Amino acid sequence: MNIQRVRSDLVATYRVPSLAEKSLRVVEDHSGNLEVALDPVGAKPGDFVITIGISAARFAAGDPRITTDLTIGGIIDHWSEERWRS
Amino acid sequence: MRIFRVDSTLVATARIGGLDSHRLLVVQERASASKQVAVDPVGCKPGDWVIAVGSSAARDAAGSKEYPSDLTIVGIIDYWDEATPGPSERRTAKTANGEARR
Repeated sequence: MNIQRVRSDLVATYRVPSLAEKSLRVVEDHSGNLEVALDPVGAKPGDFVITIGISAARFAAGDPRITTDLTIGGIIDHWSEERWRS
Repeated sequence: MRIFRVDSTLVATARIGGLDSHRLLVVQERASASKQVAVDPVGCKPGDWVIAVGSSAARDAAGSKEYPSDLTIVGIIDYWDEATPGPSERRTAKTANGEARR
């Protein structure tokens, strides 16, 4: 799992059926690289989140048939930009 | 499996149901590497050197095939010399010595 920050919502109306109607978020890592993560938690922009990758991302989405490789697993209660970058 | 050092515990109250109440720890492979989060079914303290598994083995190691973990701690290392150099560092050390001799 990695620590990433939610940057914004992402709307993609035309999508494969296997992505279902799940919310998507743009997340960034500590060096600013962007990725798209499925969000079953309801994270807001600016939240530090735990993201789950590889095959565990599908289980984290609640249904292993959902085709995601990155899913938000939880919102971190206390985290700071300094700890993130150190 | 990879060797990590436990940095701190991590609290995430709003989390998906599948993660249950398993402990989450911030771990770091090297001082310069970026921090990662691992599931801890063992019970580690900050500062411990641990072995962690990735990929689908991480799900099994956390207790069930459905558990959504991509990094799970599987053991605490009894003795570990932090200064043990990796292959690339060893090469650098040799070069540095060679230059010093010249």
